[in-house]
Amino acid sequence: MIPAKFDYVKPGSVAEAAQALADGGEDAKVIAGGQSLLPLLRLRLSFPDVLVDVGGIDELRGVTDAGDSLLIGARTTHYQVVHDPLIAEHCGLLAAAAATVADPAVRHRGTLGGSLAHGDPAGDLPAVVLALDGTMVARSARGEREIPAAEFFVDYLTTALAADEILTGVRVPKLGPGWGYRYEKFHRTAQAWAIVGVAALVRRSDGHVAEARIGLTNMGSVPVRASAAEAAAAGVEATAAALTAAARSASDGTQPPSDLHGAPDYRRHLARVLTGRALVAAAGA
Amino acid sequence: MELEHSFTVPVPMDRAWDVLLDVERVAPCMPGATLDSVDGDEIRGRIKVKVGPINMTYAGTARFIEKDAEAGVVTLEASGKETKGAGTASASVRSVLTSRGNETQVSVQTTLNVTGKPAQFGRGVMNEVGGRLIGIFAANLATVLAEQQAAPAAAGPGEAGPGEAGPGPGTDGDQRARPIEDLNLPPRALHALQRESIGTLGDLATRTAADLLAIDGIGPASLEDIRSGLAERGLVLGEPAAPQPPSQPAGPAAPVAPAGPAGSADVRAAAHRVEDDAARLFTAAGQGPDAARAAAHQLEDDAINLLQVAGLPVLKRAIPVVVGLLAVGAIALGVRRRRRTRS
Repeated sequence: MIPAKFDYVKPGSVAEAAQALADGGEDAKVIAGGQSLLPLLRLRLSFPDVLVDVGGIDELRGVTDAGDSLLIGARTTHYQVVHDPLIAEHCGLLAAAAATVADPAVRHRGTLGGSLAHGDPAGDLPAVVLALDGTMVARSARGEREIPAAEFFVDYLTTALAADEILTGVRVPKLGPGWGYRYEKFHRTAQAWAIVGVAALVRRSDGHVAEARIGLTNMGSVPVRASAAEAAAAGVEATAAALTAAARSASDGTQPPSDLHGAPDYRRHLARVLTGRALVAAAGA
Repeated sequence: MELEHSFTVPVPMDRAWDVLLDVERVAPCMPGATLDSVDGDEIRGRIKVKVGPINMTYAGTARFIEKDAEAGVVTLEASGKETKGAGTASASVRSVLTSRGNETQVSVQTTLNVTGKPAQFGRGVMNEVGGRLIGIFAANLATVLAEQQAAPAAAGPGEAGPGEAGPGPGTDGDQRARPIEDLNLPPRALHALQRESIGTLGDLATRTAADLLAIDGIGPASLEDIRSGLAERGLVLGEPAAPQPPSQPAGPAAPVAPAGPAGSADVRAAAHRVEDDAARLFTAAGQGPDAARAAAHQLEDDAINLLQVAGLPVLKRAIPVVVGLLAVGAIALGVRRRRRTRS
């Protein structure tokens, strides 16, 4: 289907984009790679008055080393995330998860910022940034602010971004030595959304798990942390048996959605099994 | 999907009952709802649902199908159709009041059914969102009922309202003089209207929906905002001069295609299915013979009068023919005259 009529602006800088959003009011929408928004437009589920295309803003692209963290531009594509040497060195989990997003065509056009700002709980990257304790950087005509990932995802497709704010980048703390990671994704076809996904980070010391962080994809209306399993895994011996046991509490407190791909109980089961696998792989046990 | 909510309010059952049947008071409890008209037990209205970039407006009717004061049971059935798509939503809301001395326990059972694109896209998101809306509705209803208690009894049970929910509708004339800034429209839409020197709500109410849509910068979304803003103030847009197409009767609910969209390919397939369904519905059902005749009538009205538009060119083409005929006539006449003179 052909999208409903909208106006289109293509600003050359973040300041211009922020101004365009401020002028556009409630019904202005940012478009980056368009891999999520265009299907919505073509299905006529979304009727923005004006689209602000940030595709021409080069300052939003690329990865910068900011001391103890990396600042990744919102317009950095999944393909660039997968192949960036800084990301591979300091937060490989992000690259590993980005490599599983949809198909190569989507990865070449879709952007990290777009995926996060879309706020789809079935998207892979929100749970990963949540597990990495990332921070979103948002700019508007009123100024700039940083929003921790834990506060960023509000509801289905809804984030803490105001209507006039544009996501400019993500700040991800560098993982030090001793960290292992794994993104486990369960889906029926290669390019499908995750029925359930698990992003696990484990820091080992002396054969024990010093710290574990687990983010869950598609286990609620927003990406969630499996805090019970994180607590259960902390301090245990880094063996497959101990980590699998800790993963049994991975689905505690979650309210997974129900659809034709699986009932909530099935998803809870998947979350426990996948968390076990992810923890074992991340700990190298 | 089935939903259950339960809450207790600090008012006696008979007062809670009065509020529950007062549509004008209950309707604002539903987030995004606008009341268009109340005619006896039939209520017309619209509900606007927004989920991130997805926005939908359903328009439809609701009616009380069960009112049992004795048992404290009231059932409201509502069904609506997407204003911009083929999707439908229907709900049956059954509230049961149980007296607990000075308090009343209200349990609300809802059966919600959403079909069409929104239901298929987003892996059941619409059901979740619908469930959440009903949750907010129940919470708001609890607040309204609780305020009923706080309101002074002197005002009488019928008058003790839920407080100022919106700007109090003054007289029609007052409202017409108000500036359009009152509608809190997005800046874009506001500027567009000001460019057309529409300054007051009265100015706005003289325009038809088509007039407004023709203005650069006013889209369907803004039109919807204007409409609901005016409706809140007891005003409506101007009526178009031409006869309106017949309102489509509420046909049978669109069949749900058994699709679990995962990936854009599935979504696309689902979209095709929905379009097919919509086409089938349109041709097969719903449109009675009256509607068909009216539609044909509409066609006649719309048919272009060829002679009116192309009169001159058509005549121009006829000139050689006419000249030819005249010439033939002249020759025939001449020949006849010559014959007559010879004989």
